[in-house]
Amino acid sequence: MNEVDNFRDDEFRVLGHHDTKSPVPGEPTRRTRLAASIVSAILVIALGVLAIVFWPKEKPVSPSNRNSENAEIKQHSERTNVESSIFSTETNASYTERIDTTVNGLSVSIYIPHNATAELMVGKPNIADKDIILIAQAADIRGDNYRILGAFILKGEPLSWGRSREGYCAIIDGEITVGTSENSPLFEKATETEGYFFRQFPMVTDGTVAKTAQNNETRRKALCSRNGQVFIATTAEPAYFDDFAQALAALGVDNAISLVGSSTAFGWYINAAGEHIQFGEDIHKYENENYILWRQ
Amino acid sequence: MKHFLVISKGTEYIRIPADQLVYISADGNYSEIVTHDNRKRIVTIQMGQLADMITNQLGEAGDDFARIGRSLIINRNFLHSIDSAKQQIVLSDCCGCYYELKAPREALAGFKAYIEEVDKNERGR
Repeated sequence: MNEVDNFRDDEFRVLGHHDTKSPVPGEPTRRTRLAASIVSAILVIALGVLAIVFWPKEKPVSPSNRNSENAEIKQHSERTNVESSIFSTETNASYTERIDTTVNGLSVSIYIPHNATAELMVGKPNIADKDIILIAQAADIRGDNYRILGAFILKGEPLSWGRSREGYCAIIDGEITVGTSENSPLFEKATETEGYFFRQFPMVTDGTVAKTAQNNETRRKALCSRNGQVFIATTAEPAYFDDFAQALAALGVDNAISLVGSSTAFGWYINAAGEHIQFGEDIHKYENENYILWRQ
Repeated sequence: MKHFLVISKGTEYIRIPADQLVYISADGNYSEIVTHDNRKRIVTIQMGQLADMITNQLGEAGDDFARIGRSLIINRNFLHSIDSAKQQIVLSDCCGCYYELKAPREALAGFKAYIEEVDKNERGR
């Protein structure tokens, strides 16, 4: 099993009992791979230090907006008020700022919503809804019964239960919390306050890359919080989960969970010029497809 | 003897005749199984596990399948063309079943060389 899981994109293999593995010319040895891993790790650390040093230090989020969760329940999270964004400019315009960067050789796009409030929705989004300035698919859909995977609350109403994924996002009174916890009191709080809640794979927990069983390569998306700022980050090309998580940690992200990835995952954003820019494909296979969105 | 790929997970049970399975592609957490009748079924099983299932369940019939890169398993009986420069592989029965698929260049080049060698050996028998 492990041998198959380590399958690379430049290999082919005849399956069955024949089980022929491709002799790839110039295939790196274990030693060269180990050396490459060490060099990559050093680069990640160096870039992480640079990111921390050079990332713009904005004014701190007021303590009232910070995480005030029940201390008896050990969890890692970052809470922010989306309406007091640290990236906010003097304008009151609602739009999504896009920043393209490269970390560890990985092209990453960051989408920062301004002057907007987050919520979740289920079903096909209305592409003509001009109030939505950023939208992306949130929780995965189960392959067996096509229901939402993991706990999900829509405006106080639980639609799905489950803790198979420890990452979570809660939206309570317009405040987003991204974190990692098996048991979050924010699930109950979301039901009491007409809030929102969903679960996904944790990618970064308190600045540390989270462990995962994910080892496939695809276009990745993540919901991130950094110094109280919540944004969506995506990879421009297919990437491994760990590589993307390490890139986010190197960018100084405090907490991040994955969002529905792949090149087809639908969504859009409105930029500062008011242009509607779509990502993914406007194809909707499942009635339970769900989205996190920011509305002006 | 007819061989079947059996996928049993959670509440779901799927049984597919090996000779009707055209290809399997991966997209994120899902794998899409495409059969000769042009039906597509999405399962939440990763490629490596499906490759193991083919090897373990199909025996010699599993030799008909090849994994090309991380995201594609094909049935070699439907192989119609390979163009590694275009990163394209076409699966077809030349009778209504036709799929143009993308795959990594290096894996396709290696697979093409392997298929050519197999053809050469079979012609030499």
